[in-house]
Amino acid sequence: MKRDELIGCGIVFLFGGITAILSLQMPMGTFRMAGSGLFPFCLGILLMVLSLLYLLNLLFVKASSQQKPEITAPSPSATKQMLKFLGISVLAAAGLGILGYPLTSFLLMLLLLRILGIKRPVLLITLPLVTATASYLLFVQFLRIPLPKGLIGL
Amino acid sequence: MIESIQHLFAGFGIAATAANLFYCLLGAVAGTLVGILPGLGPIAGIALLIPVTFGLNPTSAIIMLCGIYYGAMYGGSTTSILLNVPGETASVITCIDGYQMAQKGKAGPALAICAIGSFTAGTLAIIGMVFLAPPLAEAALAFGPPEYFSLMVCGFIVLSNVTGTSLLKSLMMATVGLIVGTVGLDPVTGDYRFTFGSVYLLSGIEFVAVAIGLFGIAEILSNVDQPLENLEQGVIIPRFRDLYPSLRDLKKSVGSILRGSGIGFGVGLVPGPAPVIATYASYMVEKKISKHPEDFGKGAIEGVAGPESANNAACQSAFIPLFVLGIPFAPPTAILLGALMIHGVAPGPMMISEHSDVFWGVIASMYIGNFILLLLNLPFVPFFANILRIPKKILLPLVILFCITGMYTVNNSINDIWLMLLFGALGFLMRKWAYEGAPLLLALVLGPKLEVAFRQSLMLSHGKFGIFVERPFSLVFLLTTLIFLCVPVVQFMIKTLGKRSA
Repeated sequence: MKRDELIGCGIVFLFGGITAILSLQMPMGTFRMAGSGLFPFCLGILLMVLSLLYLLNLLFVKASSQQKPEITAPSPSATKQMLKFLGISVLAAAGLGILGYPLTSFLLMLLLLRILGIKRPVLLITLPLVTATASYLLFVQFLRIPLPKGLIGL
Repeated sequence: MIESIQHLFAGFGIAATAANLFYCLLGAVAGTLVGILPGLGPIAGIALLIPVTFGLNPTSAIIMLCGIYYGAMYGGSTTSILLNVPGETASVITCIDGYQMAQKGKAGPALAICAIGSFTAGTLAIIGMVFLAPPLAEAALAFGPPEYFSLMVCGFIVLSNVTGTSLLKSLMMATVGLIVGTVGLDPVTGDYRFTFGSVYLLSGIEFVAVAIGLFGIAEILSNVDQPLENLEQGVIIPRFRDLYPSLRDLKKSVGSILRGSGIGFGVGLVPGPAPVIATYASYMVEKKISKHPEDFGKGAIEGVAGPESANNAACQSAFIPLFVLGIPFAPPTAILLGALMIHGVAPGPMMISEHSDVFWGVIASMYIGNFILLLLNLPFVPFFANILRIPKKILLPLVILFCITGMYTVNNSINDIWLMLLFGALGFLMRKWAYEGAPLLLALVLGPKLEVAFRQSLMLSHGKFGIFVERPFSLVFLLTTLIFLCVPVVQFMIKTLGKRSA
């Protein structure tokens, strides 16, 4: 738990540091006429200071005096399920331009339902088919929103 | 005052046109569904439906988006009562007594009291808005960049103080939001910042992608990150004939509704997640003044009536700082600020005079919207409750498909989907490590305004920081900020000293 908190805090500190360094490459100007780098530089430094304060708080303030956030231990299979879910969504974003909206939405639904434990073939095919058709009709035909056509040209 | 009432009547004329009534109804229904469905709250719901309003005139668009906001708040209460799952954070308190009432077979009266309380609170809040907004707008005309800067800083500190488990963590997230807000063109000089040669980043980070990612995708991922068997829960569905509260229930609720409305209206005017604070404050007050405090937590109707009224009143009065100052104090109103700007309406002290049709039309539509919700929610509760019977295994993929499609339609850009998924993953990790998303989103939306106000102030003062304490309003805001910064330190010291002396 504390290790996770330290990692999170470290990432935020690093983010502040990188912001400050990158800001130095921009014109800083003066306080009277601030350049484009001054504000993000100040924010980067502020973020580093805040994360450092939190780090000190984590390391030196007794655990009993802190209000602990409710963090439940994740089950490995559930985490795997979540990662698969996110992965499929990323793949859908990648495939949207190539495969087109109707096919991508069908495949996305099919795979996500499978990941969440839907096994009945009828449901597994019907639901994505109905969803893809309905959303295509709603967005493309009814609302006239141009969605990617892809290979199938729909 | 009479002028305000005349304007309000003119607003009713605008809001009551067939088209605007339709969009108000559409917003209220969509909002109720958004509030009921898992993974979608008012923030992600409004963000997702902004593209649907692109073809509408500003008044109709904002009427619809506001309808989604208060509709979602109502929908959230339905899941709290029937399922013991709050649709959004402001409904957490409603779970305590609402679900207990449902278990005792009184789900109908609980839902009805929610609707009646929300309607009454909404009505009272609108009356308050009519009288408070114009004088506040006049006062705000005296605000210059230093006052706006100090007010926004004050808003961040107050919001950070009341959200999450740690002030430091919330401040860190607000700073991250401000940094993310600097991506794109410098608002003063036009220089590129953190674009890394990408044309996509020139226009800055799309706040809709961040909102849907942090509040929609992250919520879905958190739902999926639990064993399959935990995804399903039982739902209590009331019958239509059981929906109406008894006279005794109504009598018990009147005081709670009025008190909740007052608390909610006051809390909505100050920075922070107003509906959440208002519901907690109202619950505490009701419990404290009740003759039977032992009933609270076991299905006391006052424990539903007060917080739900406070929730709705706070939602409505939160529009005052948004419309009058142009500064949203909570994430949903921050999203609405973005929507207003997309439709060419700049909120601020001049909004009442320059866009009086939008301002008064939207205020009047809130009243109509509350009435629609009252009519809609009571008879259709069994229908909405049946939606909760759809297994999450089916709902979650549907919601993610809706998020991806909705995100694409904002700018017709696949890059926005990438950004949304990135912030979704980030939001998931933030939830795991107990970092709040609200300060980040608010800072992202307000960041450019804050920076411009900061730089303009320093230009005015020839680089002297004294300008922020020399002007009375600015000084008041900064002193308030200081107090809110000191509160946790003082609390910590008292706690430590208390332990040592013990």
